[in-house]
Amino acid sequence: MSPIDNLELLESRLRLSRRSFLKSTAAGAAALGSGALIRSQDAKAFAYEPYSRDDQLHTVVTSCAHNCGSRHMLVAHKLGDVIVRLSTDDGRYQLDGAYGKDTEAEPQLRGCLRGRSYRQRLYSPERLLYPMGRVGKRGEGKFKRISWDEALDYVAGKMIELKDKYGPTALLDQSYAGASYGVLHKSDQIEGLLARFLGMFSCRTSSWSVPSYQGTTTSSRWTFGTTEDGNEDDTFAHTKLMIMWGWNPAYTFHGGNTFYYMRMAKQRGCKFVLIDPQYTDSASAYDAWWIPIRPNTDAAMMAGMAHYIFTNNLHDQAFIDRFCMGMDAGTMPAWAANTPNGRENFKDYILGSYDGQPKTPEWAAAICGVAADDIKKLADLYARTKPAALKASWAPGRNAYGEQYNRMAAALQAMTGNIGVLGGCAEGVGKAWHAEAVAYPYDQYSNIWFASIKSDRWAHCVLNYPNVKREEVGLWQREDELDGVIPNIKGIFWQGSDWFNQLTNINKEIEAINKLELVVCMDSTITPSGLYADVLLPVATHFERHDVALPWYKGHYYIHRPKVIEPMGDSKTDLQIFTELAYRLGHRTGMGDRFGRTYNPKADRSYWDNPDPVDEAYLREWWETKVMPHQHVDMPWEDFKRHGVYKFKFDKPHVAFREQIEEGKPFQTPSGKIEILSSQLAQISDWTRTMYGYHVPSIPKWIEPWESLNSPKTEEYPFHLISPHPRWRTHSIFNNCSWLRETYEQEVTVNASDARRLSIRTGDSVEIWNGRGRVVVPVYVTERCMPGVLVLHEGAWLDLDDQGVDRSGNPDMLTLDEPSPAGAFAYNTVLCNMKKTNLRHRPGWDKLATARSHVFRRDL
Amino acid sequence: MTDTNDKSRIKAAVQRRKKAVYTPVVPDVQLGFVHNNVDCIGCRACEIACKDKNGLPPGPRFRRVQYVEGGTYPNVYAYKVNVSCNHCAEPACLPTCPTGAIWKRKDNGIVDIDSTLCIGCRRCEAACPYGAPQFIPEQNIVSKCNLCVDEIEAGRKPYCVMACMMRVLDVGPIDLLRENKYPTKAIGPNDEPVKAVRNFANPDLTDPSIVFVAHSKGKVQP
Ligand code: SF4
Ligand code: SF4
Ligand code: SF4
Repeated sequence: MSPIDNLELLESRLRLSRRSFLKSTAAGAAALGSGALIRSQDAKAFAYEPYSRDDQLHTVVTSCAHNCGSRHMLVAHKLGDVIVRLSTDDGRYQLDGAYGKDTEAEPQLRGCLRGRSYRQRLYSPERLLYPMGRVGKRGEGKFKRISWDEALDYVAGKMIELKDKYGPTALLDQSYAGASYGVLHKSDQIEGLLARFLGMFSCRTSSWSVPSYQGTTTSSRWTFGTTEDGNEDDTFAHTKLMIMWGWNPAYTFHGGNTFYYMRMAKQRGCKFVLIDPQYTDSASAYDAWWIPIRPNTDAAMMAGMAHYIFTNNLHDQAFIDRFCMGMDAGTMPAWAANTPNGRENFKDYILGSYDGQPKTPEWAAAICGVAADDIKKLADLYARTKPAALKASWAPGRNAYGEQYNRMAAALQAMTGNIGVLGGCAEGVGKAWHAEAVAYPYDQYSNIWFASIKSDRWAHCVLNYPNVKREEVGLWQREDELDGVIPNIKGIFWQGSDWFNQLTNINKEIEAINKLELVVCMDSTITPSGLYADVLLPVATHFERHDVALPWYKGHYYIHRPKVIEPMGDSKTDLQIFTELAYRLGHRTGMGDRFGRTYNPKADRSYWDNPDPVDEAYLREWWETKVMPHQHVDMPWEDFKRHGVYKFKFDKPHVAFREQIEEGKPFQTPSGKIEILSSQLAQISDWTRTMYGYHVPSIPKWIEPWESLNSPKTEEYPFHLISPHPRWRTHSIFNNCSWLRETYEQEVTVNASDARRLSIRTGDSVEIWNGRGRVVVPVYVTERCMPGVLVLHEGAWLDLDDQGVDRSGNPDMLTLDEPSPAGAFAYNTVLCNMKKTNLRHRPGWDKLATARSHVFRRDL
Repeated sequence: MTDTNDKSRIKAAVQRRKKAVYTPVVPDVQLGFVHNNVDCIGCRACEIACKDKNGLPPGPRFRRVQYVEGGTYPNVYAYKVNVSCNHCAEPACLPTCPTGAIWKRKDNGIVDIDSTLCIGCRRCEAACPYGAPQFIPEQNIVSKCNLCVDEIEAGRKPYCVMACMMRVLDVGPIDLLRENKYPTKAIGPNDEPVKAVRNFANPDLTDPSIVFVAHSKGKVQP
């Protein structure tokens, strides 16, 4: 079948108009010889036309599969091999389920707008159905269809060539959690299938920092010794004060039902506060006290709060004495005095004992733009309300020195004794409880790497090789002769990752990618990254393969994901592709079948043609040897498959560090305490030999970012741009779905007074630029945004004109590829300027009309 | 804006027109919606669920979540008003239809358009004060929310209601909803249902089957 025929087939499958769909159902009914009967039944519901009702369709329970922060149930309603509509959890599918069952202990897992629009992504014209080879220049988007044989042989040949020529660091692993997040078919920086594949091939440079929340991750490891600092989402229903610091669960959803539990909290009298440059939908839905703050100054405001709490004696000294290290002089360990970096304690820093500058609310106000009285009022409220949750979200950590914000938050959480108690909060990362996350072999071959760099430094590394210092790329230390060896990156693999579009400073990436000799993109749709690939490998979506979904980091359940439909086109699963590549590489390098068999031990080479029995075996084994014994689940695998979902029921809500506080169990830090003073950081004297590269104070401190509304650069670039996660995309995923594009427009949010000054109105197009790049985007003028701040959501699909201006409005044209020492991406540390323009914005690659939702401002 | 018009004249005209062409069906039970304007996060899962269920192309939206915002920085507010078709007791759309395609069901009060009779004249679209009828250019017909009558008849609730992540949208017998006697999560323990809010047309026009929990800035004088 030609690609053209196939597009038509696709379009008919799209069934975007009810009538075109009807043709096929009517034909099907007639063929069954029971058309009349069905029509009369239909007539009961729909007087005007036959239309399959849910009960006439085949129902399959499955779930969503992206790195959105949640994991909700999707229920597919099928006719033949086509999904004709999706619904979600309605309470029927769990053990003892019933239609409408939706309790506080076992709430329904209702999908969000992205999940509900999944059919559009599944059957989209942007879907990759066949392997493609590049025929134009990188980025030009010209490909021709090739066979799997050609594609795999080309990739295998190049892999061997690059490894032989450039050594074990030549291939950069840029796998991410984008599209393949399940226990078996996983794309991930560490636990992913690609990591194991390249590691076993002995050629892999890994990317260690996580774009979304590395500042938080590092901070939580230093402070608590773990990233599992999260409460389950139901605990939020028990708090009395919820401080949403840069947190917008109305957009990010953040767990199965977090936003809904917070509604319960509100009904039970909880007060909400939002600290954010924007008055978000979370602020309005929870009726929060909004405190607008200058971006990237959060740690200063928190220091001001700490000063108020200490000087008014509102801290919980008993808690500090028992559980904290380095909070004050009394909790300093004796050894600290002899360390190169650990001689200061937090309280004395706050009081100004070291630098002569007390971090008073007035001092903080001058930095963060929040009135000193408001800082005091909030500090007072937080210190006196018990229990109170300071939810330190990730966004303010995606900043220059973002880790300091997260550490400062932990200090506030600890000094008020809100850790380990129901209704309090120690987040942070927010990863709640430990799910069994891996169903494929996770063994000595997993996550092998020969160099590991900060993820946003790859372009810098490629462009400057070999004149790169290890600290510039955040090289992870090793115990062998490869320590300090700068990777010679010559190829990139993207698996479930659109990183070219999503990392920082895209213009620099464009320069770097042309130096590479192999770029492989594995995805289920074309992506902006894919346009720069040499080979596109079509990957079956989670509807087309067998897996189990686990919640991303909140929510306690598993959802079975059977193969709902057959893989479309020639698409294969990631595991199939790596297995087959392993066989091919083995045969070419004299290993025979060994590579393939070790990579995928339950399979032989026939896995390429039929993965089903092997996938079933992995999943069953995972359920029976990990989930059932480790998590005390007694539901057999077959029953789980029949139900489609397993919801855990806890005796009491899961609160992070409850055992530490209630039973005195040590924290997982070296000292067993909450380390306000980090033991690890205290000992370091040569920072270049650490992955951080540069000095990090061992206690939380305010550090001036390299650009902000307080810096002299504002003369040239007077606006601070932030790029939060959108609600209508998962990063860049779903940007091609018209239903979702109808709910929003990529646009820059501007405060009304700024707009007036520049004579800009809603709907005008503007250019936003700085020294790194330029974008064109429409404007949305509002009073809900702080003056001086621009908001442009990340994830728009890069669309360059011939001058290199991005017409889609992708903020990463403007971001800087300069990570914080701890690895925090500085996505939200961006100064820029803005002006009205005649350049044309393009909302997407397709020719869709997009319509902004109705906005009424009738009081103005 | 509306001050320039004399509301009573409009009402009288509407009444005259209705009387001339239409005797309202009085349903056994009138179903209707409830939406909590305050607790709604505006996620629009309800909209997308509806579009997916009804196989709508980009453009027409049976359910529309309106974002309302106001105030002056930093004293601002925002809320949502979520409306589909209100399956009105006295539908404005129905008498305008020249082919009789629009009809009201006796059992549950659902107002439906028979698409085999619709000629795409778009009169109902103009008549409905709430913007419910949606023109679908590809098919040259007008279509709208039918309250998921197939799900109602199967004993289940509509797709949009079952999609609501915050449980702030629900369906039920409208007289019970109005009296706050119908058990629903959409109305919280401290909430009161009201018939009219700002950003929603005057309910006197058609007696729509919908109640809201109003935002403090969205309240209207009874
Ligand atoms: S809301 Fe509009 S379309 Fe629906 S019944 Fe009332 S008048 Fe008719
Ligand atoms: S009741 Fe059904 S048709 Fe009406 S808005 Fe809801 S989902 Fe759409
Ligand atoms: S799904 Fe619920 S919370 Fe979301 S927009 Fe619709 S009514 Fe509001």
